[in-house]
Amino acid sequence: MIPVFGGLSLSLALGLSFIAFIILFLFIRTGDYRFYLAGWRCVVMVSLFSILATLLLLNELIQSNFDVDYVAHYTSLETPLLYKVTALWAGQAGSLLFWLFILSIYCLIVLFQNRNKYTQLMPWVILVLVSIQFFFLIITNFVANPFSPTDVNFIVANGNGLNPLLQNLTMSIHPPTLYLGYVGFSVPFAFAIAALITGDTSPLWIRSIRRWTLIVWMFQSAGVILGGWWAYQELGWGGYWAWDPVENASFMPWLTGTAFLHSIIIQEKKDMLRMWNIVLIVLTFSLCIFGTFLTRSGVMSSVHSFTASNLGPLFLGYVFFNLFISFGLIIYRKSDFKSKRRIKSFTSRESGFLFNNVIFVIICFAVFWGTIFPVISEAVTGTKITVGAPFFNQVTIPIGLFLLFMTGVGPILVWRRTSKQAFIRNFSLPIAFGLVSLLGGIIIGMSGYVIISFALIGFVTAVILEEFIRGIRSRRKVQNETVITALISMVRKNRSRYGGYIVHLGIVFMFVGFTGRAFNQELEFSIKKGQSQKFGSYQFEFISLQELERPNHFAWVAGLNVWNDQNEIITRLSPEKRIYFHRDPNPDRRQPHSELSIFSTVFKDIYSIFSGIDIEQEIAYIKIMINPLVWWVWLGGWVLVAGTLIALWPHKE
Amino acid sequence: MARHKILIAIIGISIITAFWITYVTLNPDQNGTGMMKFLSVYELRATQESSRVRLGGKVATGSIIISATDKLDASFDLAQGEASIPVKFYGTRPDLFKDDAEIIVEGNYHSGMFNADQLQVKCASRYEGTLRDESSYNLDEL
Repeated sequence: MIPVFGGLSLSLALGLSFIAFIILFLFIRTGDYRFYLAGWRCVVMVSLFSILATLLLLNELIQSNFDVDYVAHYTSLETPLLYKVTALWAGQAGSLLFWLFILSIYCLIVLFQNRNKYTQLMPWVILVLVSIQFFFLIITNFVANPFSPTDVNFIVANGNGLNPLLQNLTMSIHPPTLYLGYVGFSVPFAFAIAALITGDTSPLWIRSIRRWTLIVWMFQSAGVILGGWWAYQELGWGGYWAWDPVENASFMPWLTGTAFLHSIIIQEKKDMLRMWNIVLIVLTFSLCIFGTFLTRSGVMSSVHSFTASNLGPLFLGYVFFNLFISFGLIIYRKSDFKSKRRIKSFTSRESGFLFNNVIFVIICFAVFWGTIFPVISEAVTGTKITVGAPFFNQVTIPIGLFLLFMTGVGPILVWRRTSKQAFIRNFSLPIAFGLVSLLGGIIIGMSGYVIISFALIGFVTAVILEEFIRGIRSRRKVQNETVITALISMVRKNRSRYGGYIVHLGIVFMFVGFTGRAFNQELEFSIKKGQSQKFGSYQFEFISLQELERPNHFAWVAGLNVWNDQNEIITRLSPEKRIYFHRDPNPDRRQPHSELSIFSTVFKDIYSIFSGIDIEQEIAYIKIMINPLVWWVWLGGWVLVAGTLIALWPHKE
Repeated sequence: MARHKILIAIIGISIITAFWITYVTLNPDQNGTGMMKFLSVYELRATQESSRVRLGGKVATGSIIISATDKLDASFDLAQGEASIPVKFYGTRPDLFKDDAEIIVEGNYHSGMFNADQLQVKCASRYEGTLRDESSYNLDEL
């Protein structure tokens, strides 16, 4: 019965969204406020019904109602409760409903938060938001309905179960976090379109979505990083970023979104770059939809892509529709949105921001180019070309390093114009720092991009520290505070600025981790119980082989003592070879899975994979990787989130 | 004045990076791992391409032979319809590698043998394909 209600809620939401559309349009035509109120309520109902539908599907998943095709596909009786919940976004129909679910929550927040605010903008904002809901409702109702029943001739005793790769704690938070980011960009997009339609050229729309954008950006960043973290812990190839089309799909809107985050500061402070901001948010939102298209259409061969479906043309059509309308409006309003103010000097902070923006967009374009190149080349030459990670690394590393350099230069530049004296005063210490790290790198024998990267890391770190030290010093001169209280009150006074610096520091830490990749090492070997294997300065001793039966799988656990060159045991690794569905009578249906074991330190990770086993001989096949500095990537991620939270923390008014 | 300088700088940066992207696209890195042709079994047999390529196909049922002395050493046939190509691969195989799995290998084709150094399994069909039949019942058959 419940699936019927689920389907019904979705249909009702669809019908109501259509009605809301008409009523809001009537309001805009007549200006009768009652129409606005009715439309507003209608959209609340659309959102509530969408949320209800999601909760009903969730209920079916938890109850294991295999009469629903989706439930039978993605869960089984032995799936643990947590993963029954995460199955909500494991498959196509569910994840699209989940998109709608988050959009509806956001919609409710916007509706209630701005109930009596922005009376000019709001009708259009609501209209844009409900049009996005409408699109997803069409899909969940007609193309990928999560409530569609299992084949009538079929009684499903047990479902297929959730892919063991997805049965991981990080994997249960990565997609929702990323979705909170992706979907959240709908709101700034809606405000931008509203500003365009009403011709409101003031920074009002920017002000209303600045904090919102920051929150959404934080989720998106965290989502992308968590995805890398999951890949690192679970997939067993020793890396966290493969430039897979779907990874790129999440990275591209992040790039334009980050550019947007920077350039709205200029519009708020200087009322410049009005049109540019609108272009950026339109691009970001379109890339979010395009990302969903890449993930869901099966156009690209990818570890993420789901079997080809009929959704591709729909999504692509929607992307083009959005771009067409948005750029049509942009061209129509072009002259109104021309900024009156001009950048005064090449060495001003405004121009620094502008260059940062250009670099972000260029990287985004490079990634976009590499991602769609296979499709283009097939269309033009007829042969399919695949673009691998080395291409992306080769293209983006120099541009990325330039961006890192800009991270250091930007904060030192002064609004309007930076004088020569200020230049020398502010740059001498960081440049000295950069040179010292450059020399240090040369001495220990580094070369190429690695050394440039470390030099820039030194330079940017010095810039950020200098900013903090200078701020603390000037406060102490006036206030006679201790260093700590000066630091705290300084950050409190100017949260967005210092929060921003902390985010930059997080990015610098991540670059430390990226640079470490140049030193990765790996070894595959077979080892008999009791024996040892030497690798680098470590000795791996295979001391135990355990057999365990857990609720949803069977596992062999290898115990590996790791000895360093001083003959001390530094850790015990216990990688596992698991068999999921081990009770399945058909051996072909049992699914092996390698659970990694990682020993992580500030300097390096020791990463172990239990790839194969010879039970009679007690021989294990092990792959060990030594990955220096990976730890810094995750630290950088945490620092980035912390910095954003500081910037977001509400002021006491 | 400043406006012109900035405009020139932006155009300059854009042109330089456009050249850079074009350059890398036309001259992918030396080992040929940056960009490579993606061929099917038919296409590779027809063209006998000797440069590094990616090859997609299905693992022919019953063709997997794993060395008794070294389990990392595997050979198997990659099939497309009736045609197939023998493949050699040394290293850790993905968990989902088995008979009939849809896989992508990367390497060189040499005198009738494909030497792969990368092996990826496409997607786990179990989680996207038809429902498990062994624990479910088709009413027509009962």
